[in-house]
Amino acid sequence: MFTEQHLSEISCLTDNKEMLSGFWDIPVKPVFDERIMGFFQGLSKKLFADPHSKEYVDVLSYAYWIRKSSLEAVRKTYSKKRDFENRIGRGTAFHVAPSNVPINFAVSFTSALLAGNICIVRISNREFPQVDIICDAIKALFREEYSDLKERLCIIRYPHNDEITELISARCDIRIIWGGNRTIQTIRKAQLPPRAVEMAFADRHSLALINGDEYMEMLQKDGGKYQRDIAEKFYTDTYYTDQNACSSPRMVVWFGSRIEEARKSFWEALSQCVHEKYRLRPIQTIDKMSLAYEFATCHPNTKIEKKDNYIVLIQPDRLDQKLMDYKGNSGSFFEYSAADMEDILPLLGKSCQTISYLGMEKQLIADLVRKHGVKGVDRIVPMGRTMELSFTWDGYDMIEAMSRIVDIF
Amino acid sequence: MNDLNAFFELKPYELAQEQKKKLLTDKLLELTKYHYAHCEQYKNILDAIGYLPDKTESYYDIPFFPVRLFKKMELLSIPREDIFKTMTSSGTTGQEVSKIYVDKETAMLQQKVMIKILSDFLGKKRIPLLVIDSPAVVKDRSLFSARGAAIIGLRILASEVVYALNEDMSLNMEAVEGFIQKHKEEKCLLFGFTFLVWQHFYMELKKRGIRYQLPEAFLMTGGGWKKLTSLKISNEQFKDSINQQFGIGHFLDHYGMVEQTGCIYAECEYGHLHASIYSDVIPRRYEDFAPCSIGEAGMLQVVSVLPRSYPGHSLLTEDEGCILGEDDCPCGRKGKYIKILGRIKSAELRGCSDVYGTAFK
Repeated sequence: MFTEQHLSEISCLTDNKEMLSGFWDIPVKPVFDERIMGFFQGLSKKLFADPHSKEYVDVLSYAYWIRKSSLEAVRKTYSKKRDFENRIGRGTAFHVAPSNVPINFAVSFTSALLAGNICIVRISNREFPQVDIICDAIKALFREEYSDLKERLCIIRYPHNDEITELISARCDIRIIWGGNRTIQTIRKAQLPPRAVEMAFADRHSLALINGDEYMEMLQKDGGKYQRDIAEKFYTDTYYTDQNACSSPRMVVWFGSRIEEARKSFWEALSQCVHEKYRLRPIQTIDKMSLAYEFATCHPNTKIEKKDNYIVLIQPDRLDQKLMDYKGNSGSFFEYSAADMEDILPLLGKSCQTISYLGMEKQLIADLVRKHGVKGVDRIVPMGRTMELSFTWDGYDMIEAMSRIVDIF
Repeated sequence: MNDLNAFFELKPYELAQEQKKKLLTDKLLELTKYHYAHCEQYKNILDAIGYLPDKTESYYDIPFFPVRLFKKMELLSIPREDIFKTMTSSGTTGQEVSKIYVDKETAMLQQKVMIKILSDFLGKKRIPLLVIDSPAVVKDRSLFSARGAAIIGLRILASEVVYALNEDMSLNMEAVEGFIQKHKEEKCLLFGFTFLVWQHFYMELKKRGIRYQLPEAFLMTGGGWKKLTSLKISNEQFKDSINQQFGIGHFLDHYGMVEQTGCIYAECEYGHLHASIYSDVIPRRYEDFAPCSIGEAGMLQVVSVLPRSYPGHSLLTEDEGCILGEDDCPCGRKGKYIKILGRIKSAELRGCSDVYGTAFK
């Protein structure tokens, strides 16, 4: 197994490196085990109590997501499902966390622990204060009333080393890879045991659909407040993460007969919001301009619209599958006015993750997915909620995917 | 043909603001229309942003695009068979290099303008040139690097050319000694990229304890301040050290880029980089690309009347700088004089955290 050399390359953020020498022998637990539920309740409390957490909205929203009442509600939903009583963990879950979203590693092990598994979490070498805050809280729980769980969760960092990845992969039962397509390919070179399962969360793209007629109607009813409220919601979905999250829309599609009025109001309100809240960096303006112009050079009839460098709108004259390969950040949006729902079908390929909607009938979007059998679209959420944490991700029910049923006749 | 006769009748720093504006606007507008008609990608960009040439009152209104596009695609306004040489950026950072396609006419103009500019500083007479580089950089004629191109251009000005470095970048002591002994009392030119001059010439000679007295010599440098900055060596320190070791008092740093070869911004005796009548620099605010006022730092847009074989007459660089003044440098040269502040900070991989943090505070 691990040599001294390997172990010296691994740094452990949870002070329990010793579990690496025997994680495969640790028993699994039933899903939503009381002890594990208690652990998350304790973690939530510790995070809320840590003054450092206040600086990080993502830590707070994680702490909120794992608080007692929230997890109890989730358990209740699951408990109504068939075979709930007979669901049990699969074994050891090896998580390879991404480098772009700091809180993701925690979301990943939360599902896995609740599903009854033992977790080894490899996090990126990039330092995030959020990671330290969470790991410190876990360490404290291990020292205090949850020392018995110390053998179930180990968070580590190691520099690029295929051997370590191979050693863990060879003894795990679930492997969860978050990252770019290249990361996934690299990790996949390390063999899994025959019965192990793997979940890969790759690069995705997301869209926002807006019905201009509904927007205008609401605007006339509620005026400035509605306009501002929508801008804030869209800001949360996009600029908040610099559009780095897979769920951040990079394309806005308009429907209806009052598109021109609606989009004017929408972008104007967003512009105000962005000017107030967002820190634009010089390099981003070049990145955004490069992307827009690069796209325009090979797509005749494209229009580029921008008032200043905070919002850059790229308006192609038609939608095609390759469009979303152009990945803009920091306020780069494709924008399109559709005559018909079916116009967006080319965008709903495998890499499409989240559709956020405003003034649209969500069932109609779901129907479109089903009717045409598209391979993308894993989430349909109201505008402003694309960043919400959930136990369903990229089409997986995380708890079910990471546990197994003992089928009793 | 790119007719620059109106420019060639003038000295490179002869025009004050208003006259220069008129001359540049006419020429750059003509080039804009030319590239619109001859480069499909360029046309697509201008159409996408809805550019109207008739509404252009000044060259400040002419569209520009990021130099980075030359790394992403091949942009040219001539038939491929007319390509005379392909120039590439030195590409010190990142793997992608710019490719600039130059025809005979553009190449000729680049050289002519560079000579005109340098003559203003060095005089019209040819002088001996010590190239602080290896002869290898100019060997492959089909693919020119920025380093190679600068040397080739300078050779035209030289009465004699000697290379100070061997192919392995070690000091060719014999060549250096020969050159110095022969020309130490007359006007001569030492040229090299800033970092090479420092690392492979100054440091090497210093190590050997060799000092010279070259009061008439000019040291022309350019590019690559990034490496010196990482060694924490300032422009002043660089000049002081060179002055102490070699007794050189004439410095001729310059700013330029492969995308606008020929139009260099050369340093006068007051340490200011000057824009000639052939080109200009417009620092712009990053929020909205509005032009900066004098003394205000911004992202540099550069315009040049030379690029005809490729649409590079109006570009947005990734450099930051500011205008120090216009038409009033004590050296007497008209036009803007500028300061380069360095490369814009590249995007660190941003997670949600940075934004979360700032948004929440």
